[in-house]
Amino acid sequence: MTLIKKHIPLAICFIVGLLTLSSYYVPTQSSEKYVETMNKWENIVAGFAFLLGLFSLFFSHTRKITRRVDGWGYSLFVFVGFLAMVVPAIVSNGKQMIGADLTGLGWGYRFLFNALSGTMFSVLAFYIVSTAYRAFRIKSAQAGVLFAAALVLMLAKVPLGQMIWEGLFGWTGAWDIAQIGQWLMDVPAVAGKRGIMMGLAIGGIVTALKIIFGIERQYMGKD
Amino acid sequence: MKNTIEKILKIDRRLIFLALTLLLVFPIVRPLGLPNKNIGNEVKALHDKIEGLPAGSFLMLSLDYDPATRPELHPQAVAVIKHAFRKDLRIMILTLNAGATGLIDEIGERIPKDIAPSKKYGTDYVILPYQPNPVAVMTQLGMDMFQIYDKDRDGADLKSMPVMKGIRNVKDMQLGMCITGTAMLDYWVAYTADKFKMPFAGGTTAVSQIGYAPYLQTGQLKGLMGGMKGAADYELLIGEKEKGTAGLDALSLAHIMVIALIVVANIMMLWLKYL
Repeated sequence: MTLIKKHIPLAICFIVGLLTLSSYYVPTQSSEKYVETMNKWENIVAGFAFLLGLFSLFFSHTRKITRRVDGWGYSLFVFVGFLAMVVPAIVSNGKQMIGADLTGLGWGYRFLFNALSGTMFSVLAFYIVSTAYRAFRIKSAQAGVLFAAALVLMLAKVPLGQMIWEGLFGWTGAWDIAQIGQWLMDVPAVAGKRGIMMGLAIGGIVTALKIIFGIERQYMGKD
Repeated sequence: MKNTIEKILKIDRRLIFLALTLLLVFPIVRPLGLPNKNIGNEVKALHDKIEGLPAGSFLMLSLDYDPATRPELHPQAVAVIKHAFRKDLRIMILTLNAGATGLIDEIGERIPKDIAPSKKYGTDYVILPYQPNPVAVMTQLGMDMFQIYDKDRDGADLKSMPVMKGIRNVKDMQLGMCITGTAMLDYWVAYTADKFKMPFAGGTTAVSQIGYAPYLQTGQLKGLMGGMKGAADYELLIGEKEKGTAGLDALSLAHIMVIALIVVANIMMLWLKYL
């Protein structure tokens, strides 16, 4: 059993990992063929992963409904939403438009999904404004720097902000809010972002190597 | 006085929501027409890049956003498509985000109506179907793209379309662009643009824009549009005012409201503390 559950998956991972890694740096015809084959396999696996996710979602919500756990009513909406989109999708053969006419799926997308999704995202704006008033307190030097940077960027990014700045400081002729905003984006922000990107990249490389060499085995499950 | 300030600081947040609603509705109903004077350098760079492409060049446009980020990103896509068609570029639109298909259909519907009525589907532009597994698609586009995209979104043979003449992979394309509210642009840069030496540009939400500045400095991105302001800048550059420009007034007022609220709340806090 150890051979099937442990050694063979580790060997597959090691061989495929090394081949995929080397094919990135050695662009020969055979490595291209190998990557093409792997890409097709990946797409097939991704298709099955969709199904797996769907079944998992259904089982989880069915359990909530049958056991009447807190908020089980919301789980009903998972099925209602699913059916509201999938049934028209099957009927219209996955097409959202036939000629110039919307299908049931297209109607659901344009007038349900579009509106609901947009609403959920726009609600954030209201919370941001409310939180800015109720929670953003400049109690330390760091908070002061954060506010100063935010103030400059918020003013620099919109015409009204630029007009206000010009009205207040335009007479100096030296400080252009757009240039200050651009400097903030190009220098301190890039420095910070680059540091984060390098850290992430090194972390990614280390994790990948650990998986290829069988040190990191969480993907194999607990058995 | 102290009690009044404390009461104001603890104001019901629904009143703030109401104030913001009124502030946003007003410029949408009756645009203020605030002048957009400063065009971002990265938007100008993108415009110049497309402007410099000869007629017949191939633009790959990956629209990887869903309705949640539509107000910021859809105007960007429309503006770029208008500009590209004006320059007689060939366009291939694709998506690696399942939520984008309906938005792409909307664009497909608008092209013959008002974006570029003279352009023909299959000859001047093509729309590809959604594909899962972005990294595999991006890698494959660098080799033989017809292995992964053999048909367009309507099931027609892609390879035989006139728009695809001379195109086998991204090395045959003159510019790639991804408009997204996710990290998809990072993937495009890593797996396609850098690896296959493809000139690439991006469009992102305003909040993500700052994260792409390193790519702009290194030249990995030839240009970038950030949020509604980026769309408005681009619309200004091509002389076609649309949703980006219309949204800029509301955005202006919302920014000023946030600043005003933070300043007022902090002044009141200092008042309570020291006076």
